[in-house]
Amino acid sequence: MPPVLVELLQFLFSGLASGAIYALVALGFALIYNASHIINFAQGEFVMLGGMVTWVLLSQGIDLPLAILGAVAVTMVAGLALEKLAIERARDANVVTLIIITVGAGIFLRGLTSVTLGKDLHALPAFSGNAPIDIAGATLMPQSLWILGVTAAIVVALHVFFHYTVVGKAILAASHNPLAARLVGINVNVVLLLSFGLSALLGAVAGILIAPITATHFEVGIMLGLKGFAAAILGGLGSGPGAIVGGLLLGVIESLGAGYISSDYKDAIAFVVILGVLFLMPRGLFGKRGTERV
Amino acid sequence: MATIKPSGYSKHRKKQTYTRRLGTRATPMQMLFSERVGGMGALILVIACLPLLLSNNYQYDVAITMGINAIVVVGLNLLVGYAGQVSLGHAGFFALGAYASAILTTRYGLHGALALPAGALGVGVLAYLIARPILRLSGHYLAMATLGVGVIIHIVLDREAWLTGGPDGMYVPTIEVAGVPLYGGAIWYWIVAAVLILTVWLALNLIDSPIGRALRGLHGAEVAAEVAGVDTTHYKVMVFVISAVLASVAGSLSAHFSEFVTPDSASFFHSILFVTMVVFGGMASTFGALIGAALLTLLPQLLADFSGYEQMILGLIMMLVMIVMPRGLLPTLVGLARRRQREARS
Amino acid sequence: MSLLRVEGLGIHFGGVQAIEDLDFTIEAGTIHSIIGPNGAGKTTLFNLITGVYRPSAGTILLDDTPIAGRKPHDLARMGLSRTFQNLRIMMNMSALDNVMVGRHLHLNRNLLACLLRLPPVTRGDRAARKLCTELMDLVGLSAYRDADAGSLPYGALKRLEIARALAAEPRLLLLDEPAAGLNAQETREIDEVIVKVARSGVTVVLVEHDMKLVMGLSDHILVLDHGRTLAEGTPEAVRNNPAVVAAYLGTV
Ligand SMILES: Nc1ncnc2c1ncn2[C@@H]1O[C@H](COP(=O)(O)OP(=O)(O)OP(=O)(O)O)[C@@H](O)[C@H]1O
Ligand SMILES: [Mg+2]
Repeated sequence: MPPVLVELLQFLFSGLASGAIYALVALGFALIYNASHIINFAQGEFVMLGGMVTWVLLSQGIDLPLAILGAVAVTMVAGLALEKLAIERARDANVVTLIIITVGAGIFLRGLTSVTLGKDLHALPAFSGNAPIDIAGATLMPQSLWILGVTAAIVVALHVFFHYTVVGKAILAASHNPLAARLVGINVNVVLLLSFGLSALLGAVAGILIAPITATHFEVGIMLGLKGFAAAILGGLGSGPGAIVGGLLLGVIESLGAGYISSDYKDAIAFVVILGVLFLMPRGLFGKRGTERV
Repeated sequence: MATIKPSGYSKHRKKQTYTRRLGTRATPMQMLFSERVGGMGALILVIACLPLLLSNNYQYDVAITMGINAIVVVGLNLLVGYAGQVSLGHAGFFALGAYASAILTTRYGLHGALALPAGALGVGVLAYLIARPILRLSGHYLAMATLGVGVIIHIVLDREAWLTGGPDGMYVPTIEVAGVPLYGGAIWYWIVAAVLILTVWLALNLIDSPIGRALRGLHGAEVAAEVAGVDTTHYKVMVFVISAVLASVAGSLSAHFSEFVTPDSASFFHSILFVTMVVFGGMASTFGALIGAALLTLLPQLLADFSGYEQMILGLIMMLVMIVMPRGLLPTLVGLARRRQREARS
Repeated sequence: MSLLRVEGLGIHFGGVQAIEDLDFTIEAGTIHSIIGPNGAGKTTLFNLITGVYRPSAGTILLDDTPIAGRKPHDLARMGLSRTFQNLRIMMNMSALDNVMVGRHLHLNRNLLACLLRLPPVTRGDRAARKLCTELMDLVGLSAYRDADAGSLPYGALKRLEIARALAAEPRLLLLDEPAAGLNAQETREIDEVIVKVARSGVTVVLVEHDMKLVMGLSDHILVLDHGRTLAEGTPEAVRNNPAVVAAYLGTV
């Protein structure tokens, strides 16, 4: 293959891997948004917790699979606690107030992590070694395959959950029409609690998957959270497929931009693209369209 | 055909009586308690007396930072509190003002007194250009777009080291006026105080004018305002530009006062901090904004002693205050006081 | 020349054709009612005329000037004003300030003047406050002069909508179900207000389900059904129109 194409392939590989992570974070945003119309700015801290807790468990001599399970569990507890202790008590507050509450939760979780686990940067070991795989001249790290594979599995699992299980259908119903859902006996608070737990799970998994590549740190959640929000908006808030497509697109665009334009501006490119898309499509790529009823 | 009576409709609801008859002028007592007279008077009194309590440079620094933040927050409150348009990127405009002052004075030898308006003008033009497309968005989409603008400004300031000094920031020379260097807390206290008082006065005037009613109206019922002849886009753009310019002015003041600027002044968390000040004090309340700015400037200083735990405590306080008082400090307190009064009377 | 002329007007939302190929005219100085069963497209028609929705087909002429697709605030400048069936009250403001927003176009809106609170602004505001208070008295809101809009009962909010629309001093006033949810006494009061307004030379377009009110007030009635004209004419003609009778007996 000509070097130009190899290079492109290389950028695509890395873009898809980080895009899959963004997609997972964006799905977390979408889940909570659908259940409550709240944007959870602490979503990035779920990602951070996943990586950091896995690291600390590993450093205590616990095996990787167990450490991962432990980290996911801890993060889910954090997510459930956030919903129970804060969100549930402030559901009727306006958009800005809720933003501040979730940002406050994020600051709290970061502070808690830095106090208990320190402020150092930690790398997790790759799940199955660092031997690069050669594909048509471009290299693919096994960890990237893990990311793509796990993300795909999660997407399938979510699809099955929401369309073929009673609980999943109940959550969907509650997000489409909370009043009707309440009338048929769905407890909206339980749905909200579930969605926070599920979002925390998605965030933790994303954080664990990416930690071997980018290392983890008590502040990694800030940028990852914002990118995940950007991806969710890009796809159209509340749309599951939108979150996935938005995440992957964002990852690829960022990787191409960093490769061909300027790596200094990698993070900025994502936001420029978002602004561009919103200027043309004020509700994102897959957002609800139609005239507002007056 | 039957007409349907919606539930919740009751014609027996208590009718209220009001002391102030319209078309008449306010009595001296009412003037005293009005925002423009009583509020401004109280503000000036506090500002005039505060130096009596300030005993060292550090305390002056905190007081001046309060004032600078208050200027941003009074402007941001016009946008977020009154017009109901979220912005998570105003630290970007603050930082642009600061850097405009820093760069124009160090690299181009402009006088600080010219750099400030030049920066404000530049930021005003930039804000105007992005406001139109951005303010077509609403809710979380608007939050995302303004957040994006802030992040982009942050990154540019961080990366263009040849111009901005990069992540380390840059020094700003002391301003001289007629050979006298403007240096030290005592001088800057009064400069910031003057700008703040002017800002508050202009904000109060604006809110209590046809433009202010248009802003509050488009917040409350956008179509209705539009149908009443309010060019809602125009007013959203106007208030966005005003708030950005005020942030820029505050940024310039901060650069000249502290004689140092860093890209972190444009960070997402700085933007969030400004919004939190607005909401803490009470949205759509200019004096609430002042209280919010003062408290949240003071808070990190008080927390500095809790080495390591300050972030946790700050996060907790943000959550607690917003859960307990979602409408903010001042409106909640005023509401409580009113209820007390009513109970006392009956 | 008619004040308002609509030709071939249509709009659809996804698959729903809410208004289809509609033609009618409204003469200046009349009370023109639009009636029809729920979902007939009456509110949609108001939204089209006042620029809230953009039509998919057809033209709307105000004084022979095409206005379809223009922004509502432009049309307000041309003398259009309306109330909303689903109340659009600014709950964050006082009742009087709601009416004052309606006065917007008549006030000094210069930024510098407002920032500095120059005499033209204060003078204009004082005059407007007086006028708006009188309007509130006219629609029967004297008891709520300085109340927060949020504290008003439903019937008062309906009147507040009317006061705000009147504050603009429109040439063409569109009222969307002003009497819905009101009791007989309140409906009579609204009836009087409409007559008073019409006498002062304002052209009124009225959407209303209360047949007594409509038949008593209107100079001309347009009956809509499924977005199309079912019948049109004087109250007598419409009342005796077999298609209308059939439609109404079918729906009630
Ligand atoms: N913004 C919108 N989006 C989608 N459909 C709409 C919209 N506005 C109106 N419709 C549809 O257009 C049709 C006409 O509605 P409209 O509100 O105009 O009826 P109406 O005659 O005012 O009824 P009512 O007497 O109940 O007020 C309805 O089928 C309605 O669902
Ligand atoms: Mg209707």
